Amino acid sequence: MSMPPRSRTGSGPLIAGLIIAAVVVVTIVVLAASGATPAGVWNSFFPMHGTGGVTDRSGSVQNLYDIVFYIAVAIFLLVEGLIVWSVFRYRRKSTDTDLPPQTHGNNLVEVIWTVIPTAIVIFLFALSWQTLNVVDAVTPSQVHVRAVAAQFQWSFEYLDGPGDNANVVFKQVIPGGDAGGLVLPVGEPVHIDLRSPDVIHAFYVPKFLFKKDVVPGRNNNFDFTIEEPGTYHGQCAELCGAGHAAMVFDVHAVSRADYDTWLADSIAKANATPAPAPSGEAAGATVELVAQNIAFNPGALEAPADAPFTIHFKNEDPSVPHDVEIKDAGGAVAFKGDLVTGVAEANYSVPALAAGSYSFICTVHPNMTGTITAK
Amino acid sequence: MATTTLNPAAPAYRSTLYEWLTTTDHKKIGIMYLINSMIFFVAGGLLALVVRIQLVVPKSADVMGGFVTPEFYNQAFTMHASFMLFLFIIPILAGFGNYAVPLQLGAPDMAFPRINALSLWLLPLGGLLMASGFLVSGGSAAAGWTEYPPLSQQLGTGTDLWIMGLVLIGTSSILGAINFLVTIFKMRAPGLTLFRMPVLTWTVLVTSVLVLMATPVLTSALIMLFIDRNYGGHFFDPANGGNAILYQNVFWFYSHPAVYIMVLPAMGIISEVLPVFSRKPLFGYKAFVFATVGIGALGFSVWAHHMFTTGAVFLPFFSLMTFLIAVPTGVKMFNWIATMWRGQLQFSTPLLYAVGFLSMFLIGGLNGAFSAAVPVDFALHDTYWVVAHIHYVLFGGSVFAVFAGIYYWFPKMTGRMLGEGLGKVQFVLMFIGFNLTFFPMHQLGLAGMPRRIADYASAAGWNELNMAATVGGFIIALSVLPFFWNVLVSLRNGKVAGDDPWEANTLEWATSSPPPPYNFDHLPEIRSERPVFDARHGRTAAH
Repeated sequence: MSMPPRSRTGSGPLIAGLIIAAVVVVTIVVLAASGATPAGVWNSFFPMHGTGGVTDRSGSVQNLYDIVFYIAVAIFLLVEGLIVWSVFRYRRKSTDTDLPPQTHGNNLVEVIWTVIPTAIVIFLFALSWQTLNVVDAVTPSQVHVRAVAAQFQWSFEYLDGPGDNANVVFKQVIPGGDAGGLVLPVGEPVHIDLRSPDVIHAFYVPKFLFKKDVVPGRNNNFDFTIEEPGTYHGQCAELCGAGHAAMVFDVHAVSRADYDTWLADSIAKANATPAPAPSGEAAGATVELVAQNIAFNPGALEAPADAPFTIHFKNEDPSVPHDVEIKDAGGAVAFKGDLVTGVAEANYSVPALAAGSYSFICTVHPNMTGTITAK
Repeated sequence: MATTTLNPAAPAYRSTLYEWLTTTDHKKIGIMYLINSMIFFVAGGLLALVVRIQLVVPKSADVMGGFVTPEFYNQAFTMHASFMLFLFIIPILAGFGNYAVPLQLGAPDMAFPRINALSLWLLPLGGLLMASGFLVSGGSAAAGWTEYPPLSQQLGTGTDLWIMGLVLIGTSSILGAINFLVTIFKMRAPGLTLFRMPVLTWTVLVTSVLVLMATPVLTSALIMLFIDRNYGGHFFDPANGGNAILYQNVFWFYSHPAVYIMVLPAMGIISEVLPVFSRKPLFGYKAFVFATVGIGALGFSVWAHHMFTTGAVFLPFFSLMTFLIAVPTGVKMFNWIATMWRGQLQFSTPLLYAVGFLSMFLIGGLNGAFSAAVPVDFALHDTYWVVAHIHYVLFGGSVFAVFAGIYYWFPKMTGRMLGEGLGKVQFVLMFIGFNLTFFPMHQLGLAGMPRRIADYASAAGWNELNMAATVGGFIIALSVLPFFWNVLVSLRNGKVAGDDPWEANTLEWATSSPPPPYNFDHLPEIRSERPVFDARHGRTAAH
């Protein structure tokens, strides 16, 4: 069926075209100015910007994502194309005084655009069920870790076996950084049990393409094998209160040998007689510092320059470890205090600091920061 | 049938204000629904700007001396969502229903006009109660709009105010739903069979069934939470034998159908606007009605797709149902495009918003399919991807439909047209701002940024996209200004509309603008779903 050619009327399409062109040009200029490359932009449409996951299961998630993505893009282009075509092609023009054909519907096309989408979604469902079986598969493993998420602190209990009756051989209380984090062997099935003593949290490591809620009163767990060594950022993904953003942790994936050495060392260190809390006699001036709700109070301290002094440190967060690490302007560590697990207090004997500005952080919670002025 | 006295003489001492505050006229009530909703839209929008300013750069606490505290940040996004969902989108769509449904049915008013007034006035009451949380110690509710226990049991009095406010708002919804159902079933004009009803009225019908079945369940969840918080209950407290997941099941049994409560009437508005401005009937009217009913029915079987990562739900069932609900939605999309196909599109502002709805809601449907695939949802759940999804559905979808509806019915409500120029400026700004704000959130989610965090590390690689989203947020805020200016100017100086400025189809356009009290002096014959079209062109033109 042929339609008479139509002339476009009015300035609408012209203005619309100009606006669209302007937006496209501005977008390209801004993207280019911010250093984006076409490949980078394309990769940003894929999990972890195209770098994918690092576990034995993340590959199948990545594949499923890709399939859903390409189908979604195809449908998007088709339907958006039909909308844009209709908008530009079927504009009313000044000679359109008669009504267009009053089509009320067509049962055949209704059946077609019901059946085809149904087939697509059933296909996607079957595919995702298959992938789910891979992701949720239970693998017998030798490495058992109980990840405990509490407001606002991750800790990791290394167990000597499966189940609730297993003994804790080592408890990692520092959730991140080089000295802490969840250390796991590469190429070895790992079983994680999730526990929460307070509210709901979620164990989320973006590079695993996986998360699972940590629900109080519920024993969630999962299995996986990390395939690439490296350090992977993890974070609580379920709102858990004011310190939600601070609930970060690191996963250190190392070789089996390094893992064994690390675990043996950690157990030995933990079993050694703990050094007495650095209380003792207070040397020099004393400044008060409180850690509460994952924040230092006050955030700015003053101390005498060129003389040792004492920080009287109070940790008011129950069962949360904090410490104080002082760095000079260049980032060199001038002092690092021992961990204090709340509620408790300690006296840190800080060596003499040259006059100037220093920053301090809690190494467990890098978001906890403050400044010391020595003068 | 009882007789009604038309135009009862009002005592002369009544002021206009008194008249509006005490009215039971569904048209005035509908307009007040819209005004109340727009007030909460602005309040919710300002809270969204707080969120966007906080996230504009990483470690904003360092850079800006802490724009807001993490505690206030949590209150801001909690109340942003609560205002937008419960006090803007749901009521403003109910407002369109209130205004248009009796008119579209050829009825003089709603079935229960006084209950209708009660439904309206419960809303500002509930809203103020909820908002008063900002005034008490500990601030407003702050556990997210979902208020999951045990977190919501830890927080202060603001949460109790939130619960009480929401119970009132829910009561308003339930009363309104009963009112709509009785009105639709009992008060249709002679000749107006169910399958001749305008699609907006159909969507309000299905929505009312959803409200009636789901909202009492929400109320029960809220009351259990209230008992846990205040009277030593342990429904959701695992330490005492309760179950934290129970709340999520009960909450989402309401709140997923609620998404359709927020979308179906918006689809109804689009289905009114597209045929009028294409000068064609809605393509596949019955398919459209069946798809609406299908979405309503399937909507009750997908609630647990919000809970895939809890480890407490049967994943394949909810995955399948979630995929399937895309089908009736897709049917609607194709019917809308077929409505425009070979039409004569008149690009007035309502059609612009309707086309904006089509193109953006499409994205909101497609990015939802990712989360139906459970393993992909494990990666994307509770990240910014989900924030992008919900905003493409509820902003790109519902909000664009709301503005289509405002520009479409404003002439009927006030007798004057809204300015076309300002309307188009608003549309362009809002369309650009919307996409700049919410499209980058897909990439943020894919890059692993969780939602609801008050701060992020500079090294996480989320800086540029957050900056873009914040700039977009301010463009959206800017786009609302020409709208309010347009309303103010047009109320005084707008072009006089006449009865039927758009050459529309449905009965509201057969009466004057604004309609008289009790709506109609006489009705045209109703022989199809387009009685006004038939009266204008004759029945033969329709077939």
